[in-house]
Amino acid sequence: MKLLPFEKPLEILYKELERRKRNGEDTLHLEELIEKQMEEIYKKLTPFDTVLVARHPDRPQPQDYINALLTDFTEFHGDRVSEDDPALIAGFGFFKGMPVFAMGTRKGHNIHERLKYHSGMLSPSGFRKAARLVETVSHSFKVPIISFVDTPGAMVSPQSEMNGQVEAIYKSLSALLNANVPVISVITGEGGGLGAIGISTGDRILMLTYSYFAVVSPEAGSAILFKNTEAKSRVASQLHLTARELLSLNVIDGIIEEPLGGAQRFKDAVIKSVGDALQSELETLLKEPVTELKKRRLEKYESMGVFTK
Amino acid sequence: MNIFGKKKKIVLPVIQGDGQDVKVRCNSCGRLIDYNTLKENYKICPYCGYHFRMSATERISVLADKSTFDELGEPIQSVDVLNFTDTVPYKKRLADLKDTVGLPNAILTGSGKIGGIQCAIGVFAFEFLNGTLGSATGEKLAELIRFAGKNSLPLVVVFSSAGERVQEGIFSLMQVAKTVSALNAYKEKEGSLFISVLTNPVLGGVASIAMAGDVIIAESGSYVGVSGPRISEYVMKRSLPKEAQKVENLMKRGFVDIITDRKGLKDTIIRILKFQNKWGKL
Repeated sequence: MKLLPFEKPLEILYKELERRKRNGEDTLHLEELIEKQMEEIYKKLTPFDTVLVARHPDRPQPQDYINALLTDFTEFHGDRVSEDDPALIAGFGFFKGMPVFAMGTRKGHNIHERLKYHSGMLSPSGFRKAARLVETVSHSFKVPIISFVDTPGAMVSPQSEMNGQVEAIYKSLSALLNANVPVISVITGEGGGLGAIGISTGDRILMLTYSYFAVVSPEAGSAILFKNTEAKSRVASQLHLTARELLSLNVIDGIIEEPLGGAQRFKDAVIKSVGDALQSELETLLKEPVTELKKRRLEKYESMGVFTK
Repeated sequence: MNIFGKKKKIVLPVIQGDGQDVKVRCNSCGRLIDYNTLKENYKICPYCGYHFRMSATERISVLADKSTFDELGEPIQSVDVLNFTDTVPYKKRLADLKDTVGLPNAILTGSGKIGGIQCAIGVFAFEFLNGTLGSATGEKLAELIRFAGKNSLPLVVVFSSAGERVQEGIFSLMQVAKTVSALNAYKEKEGSLFISVLTNPVLGGVASIAMAGDVIIAESGSYVGVSGPRISEYVMKRSLPKEAQKVENLMKRGFVDIITDRKGLKDTIIRILKFQNKWGKL
C-alpha cells in the first residue's frame, strides 16, 4: 500500500513485518506495535494530512460503495443531449431490499482508471445526467436518492467551458434541491468546491472521518490567495474542511467513523459503517412526509451563512 | 494565459496639470483617454470599445431610471467566522473595505424603475473583494429574490464576480445553494422573469447562479466560466485558452441569449421587459 508522507515511521515496521512473515517468524508483537504507532499518527493528523488520506488511491470509492451496498444495481447512461460522462456512475438498485437511486463520482484506483474516469471530475454531461435522472426519480420512480461524492472538483477544460459547465452545475444543484424524494449525500473522500455541491445538496450530508469538503481544494485556495500552491497546508487548516470542523459549524449532519488508519486499510468495515449509517438515516427520513422534508431542506440552505448588521 | 493579467487589471490614471485634466490609459489599446470623456461614454474606450469595469453605484446610475432606486433591507456584512488570514487578516480586509469602497458587502440591491417598469434590481460590486460571494452578499441576493417574488416584480441582476470567497470557506459555497433555492421558489411563480446580465467577469458559483436566468444578456467581451486563470495555471498545470470563456463563443454554443455593448444594455433590458405581456405578469 502507498504510504503517505506522515506515515513514514511505519515504513520500517512494515518492512520488518514482511520479512518476518516470509521467514515464518512470530509477528504478533510487531503487529501490535504497528497498530499502536498508527493510532499515534492518526490521532495527530493535520487538516492537510486528512486531505491526503482522503485522496488515497486505495480508499473505497463511490463505485465500490454502490457495488457493495446495492443488489441488482443497474447503471443508467447519458444526458440525452450529448454523451455519457464516465465520471458519474448512476442507476437504481436495492438497498437492504428497498429500491433506491444511487449516483456517485467514479475516480479510479490506478492511473488507467483515472484517465478513463477523469479522476472523478464531472463534465457538463455528467451534471446533466445527474439532473435528468434526479428529475425522473423525483417524478416517476419516487425512491430515495443516495449520492456518493469523491471529486477534486468540477472539470475545468476548454471543452467543459464551451459545453456550459456552470449552467450544467446549476441544473444538477437545482434538480436536487427540488427533488420530491429524500436525498442523502455521503462525502467519502474529496468534496471539492462547485463540483461537490452540484451533486450533494440534500436532506442529510454525511462525511467519513478522513474526507474533506471545501469551497476550493487547498491547492486552488493557495493559488487564489498567494499566487502559488506553497501555502496549501496553511490554507487547509484555515478552510475548516474536515468532517469534525464542518459538523461543529452545522454545515453537515453527521460523521461516519473510520478506524484510525483510514478506510484504505479497513475497506470492508468502513463500507459496512456507511451502509449502517445510510439505513438509519433513511429510516428517519422515510417517517416524514416528503413535503415536510423538502420544506426543511430548503429552509436549511436558505439559512446558511454567517453575517451581522 | 492571462485573462485578467496585470496589464489589464488596473486603470492607471495619468494626472496632468491641476488635477482637472485626468487621463486614463486604456487597458486594451493603450491609448490615453480623457477621464470625463470615458465617463460620459459609459466607461467604454472611444478608440477600441474596451469596457472598463464599473462600480456598483455607477452601474445603478446607468441602469435604473433617475432617482427611482431604493435600497432594499438593512445593510449587513460578513463575519470572519473561520478566523482566516491570507496575506492580510480577513477581519482587516473587511474593515478596510468598509472605508474604501463604502459598501458593506459585494452587492447592491433594491427596487427601481427601468424604462418606467418597476423591477427588483441587484448589482454585484466588483470593487468589493472582486465581487466574491460571501455570506452577507449571498443573503442580500436571496433577500432580493424573495422580495421580487413577494412583490411580483421582474428580477434584474447584473453579475460581475470572481466566484466564491475563499476566506469564508464552506459558507461561501453554501451561498450558491441558498440563492439557487431562493431562485427556484421565485421561478415557480407564474409570470416571474429573471433577467441575468453577465459582465466581465462572472466565475465559479456565481456564474452557475447567473445561468439560471430566464433571459441571459451578456456585455460584449466578457468572460464567464468555472474558474479564473490562477487555478488552471497553478493547479491544473495548464492554461485555459481565453477564448473558451468568452461570451461571444458561449452564445455560439447556445448559453447566452443576447450580446450587447454597454451603451445598448439598458434599451435591451427595457425591450425585454416590454415583451412580457401584461396579463402574464405576476
